[in-house]
Amino acid sequence: MSFVFSRGRLLLWGACLALAVALPLVLKSGFMLSLLCQIGIMVVFALSYNMLLGQTGLLSFGHAVYYGMGAFITMHTLNMIGKDGSPLVVALLPLVGGLAGLAAGVVLGWVTTKKAGTTFAMISLGIGELVAACALMFPGFFGGEGGISGNRVVGKGNLLGFTWGPQVEMYGLIVAWAFVATVAMFALTQTPLGRMANAVRDNPERAEFVGYDTQRVRYLMLILSGFFAGIAGGLTALNYEIVTAETLNAHTSGVVLLMTFVGGIGFFYGPIIGAILVSVMQIVIGGMTHAWLLYFGLFFLFMVLMAPGGIASVIAMQRNLWQAGLFGRMVPHYLAATVPILVLMAGLVGLIEMSYALLAGEGVGAGDTATRVMGMQLQLASMEPWAIALATTAAGVALTRWIGGRTGVAWNSALSTLHGDKS
Amino acid sequence: MTAPAIRMSGLRKNFGVSEIIRGVDLDIHRGERHAIIGPNGAGKSTLFHLISARLPVTSGVIELKGENVIGLKPFEINRKGLSRSFQITNIFHNLSVFENLRCAVLWSLGYRYSFWHRLAGLKDARLRADAVMEDIGLTSRRDTPAGILSYAEQRALEIGITIASGADVILLDEPTAGMSRSETDDAVALIRRVTEGKTLVMVEHDMGVVFGLADRVSVLVYGQIIATDAPAAIRCNAAVQEAYLGTGTHAGHGHE
Repeated sequence: MSFVFSRGRLLLWGACLALAVALPLVLKSGFMLSLLCQIGIMVVFALSYNMLLGQTGLLSFGHAVYYGMGAFITMHTLNMIGKDGSPLVVALLPLVGGLAGLAAGVVLGWVTTKKAGTTFAMISLGIGELVAACALMFPGFFGGEGGISGNRVVGKGNLLGFTWGPQVEMYGLIVAWAFVATVAMFALTQTPLGRMANAVRDNPERAEFVGYDTQRVRYLMLILSGFFAGIAGGLTALNYEIVTAETLNAHTSGVVLLMTFVGGIGFFYGPIIGAILVSVMQIVIGGMTHAWLLYFGLFFLFMVLMAPGGIASVIAMQRNLWQAGLFGRMVPHYLAATVPILVLMAGLVGLIEMSYALLAGEGVGAGDTATRVMGMQLQLASMEPWAIALATTAAGVALTRWIGGRTGVAWNSALSTLHGDKS
Repeated sequence: MTAPAIRMSGLRKNFGVSEIIRGVDLDIHRGERHAIIGPNGAGKSTLFHLISARLPVTSGVIELKGENVIGLKPFEINRKGLSRSFQITNIFHNLSVFENLRCAVLWSLGYRYSFWHRLAGLKDARLRADAVMEDIGLTSRRDTPAGILSYAEQRALEIGITIASGADVILLDEPTAGMSRSETDDAVALIRRVTEGKTLVMVEHDMGVVFGLADRVSVLVYGQIIATDAPAAIRCNAAVQEAYLGTGTHAGHGHE
């Protein structure tokens, strides 16, 4: 392990692994467990995506293809081995998914990585649509609308007592794979290819003039990225025991782009944060309201405008402030800023939920005009809840402008002190 | 007799209907310092772009150490031992000074597209990058992102990236452009030091630099070489004086 890690890093990685292993001891419910499983898979998927976006500067709109191919091939393999399999074989199936993603990368990447920039983005979009269309045209392989399903409990024996049947065992398998894949992807950033990918991202012309074929660098990075996306796909096949065409369509490609971006493409750990956050939003908020995509959209908008470097960049900024001894003076401002944001959010949520209930008839019977928002039974027909929500939103906007402005001033002064200290 | 470092014959480049390089024949000897001068728009940078394959040639031949290099890609020419710098600074902005230089040495040390070597364990790459960093005087800026270096520092890094791979034919495109007098003096000393024993071709406007550094000078005017000779002889060449130095101000600076 010292191959990759300094001692401090080793500690950090160890702590993360320990946390991942220990979480199910605290979060015991089935809901939490499936959330954790989803997070583990998405962490691998988002990190693989950032090998392209953050490290090589390739904006892909079709990354789900590699993830989906990994999932489908894994599922077919699982069904093929069927009763002849053993839990050990099942545990290794994500590798098959990885190889499927890698093979897809070898074939499709040959076309997509000829060019970088906008051309790459457009071709990746085209290929993504092409494969998604194929998924519906060849129901024999892709299972059509219903997808294909399987059973991850195969054979009779067990592997060290594991059959992968119970969700908690599946979680263990996901953690193991996610950890290995994350270590491997981090190690890749510390190799000649990983560094030259950064160089190609920064300045492809110069990379050519120091002896590197930029096309080859992009191609290799895409193949390797496809491999890790395929592993994530394999895990999702085992976890849900069903794979549908949705795993490789544009929506999945979009979600992985968003989570990677929100997390922060400039940092290795950015996509991990993004994967956790978006999975939680998707499942927790998605479980509370059907309007979750709207909230997610708003959140994404907010992030792009306020913190284009993603959450990781915000964290890095706080760490810089902390190291300069400036963090302390910002804390009261942060606390003060949470008040108007909470007020604003409460108002917005009220408005959105009531509108959604009214327009989509969500959660209400025919002719019913009441909906529950934040535990309150609201009568949509009366003016009162609307007025209150509007007033709350307006107050939130006013407060945000007032207190947010002051926070901004404090923030700028802290920043100028920080940069002043540096130079 | 060994083949010249670079041989150009009948070299032409058209952009649409306009001819930019109109038949250049020139041999660059091995180990010489060769300056290419000429008025603005004469095609000096274009000539560099043709040699380094940044632009495709329209017709003619370019040989690098006796080998025809027409049709090769920039990275292929670089691997044959030709390295160039750019007039407009062309570096890896988000990478540190050290990483910039390490990227520049990886291919020549044979690490290619390796994803099985750990960068931190590549002692030869680190030592080479550190040595170049020392050479160009940026050791104190080792971990600074290249994008926030001062202009002169970026120009030094540009030269550093160019020479780091150990290429034996070096093309420098206006290495001292935009520098102050003292920065220029430092740059000239640097260029002299790091191109010792190598073939150097440079495009330069500063006549002080040209006459101080070059063994031979070629004068490019309107896409053609009108003279190639030792600096002293170039200064006395009537055609050159008329076409170029005759404008007065440039020649005046040249005698500093």
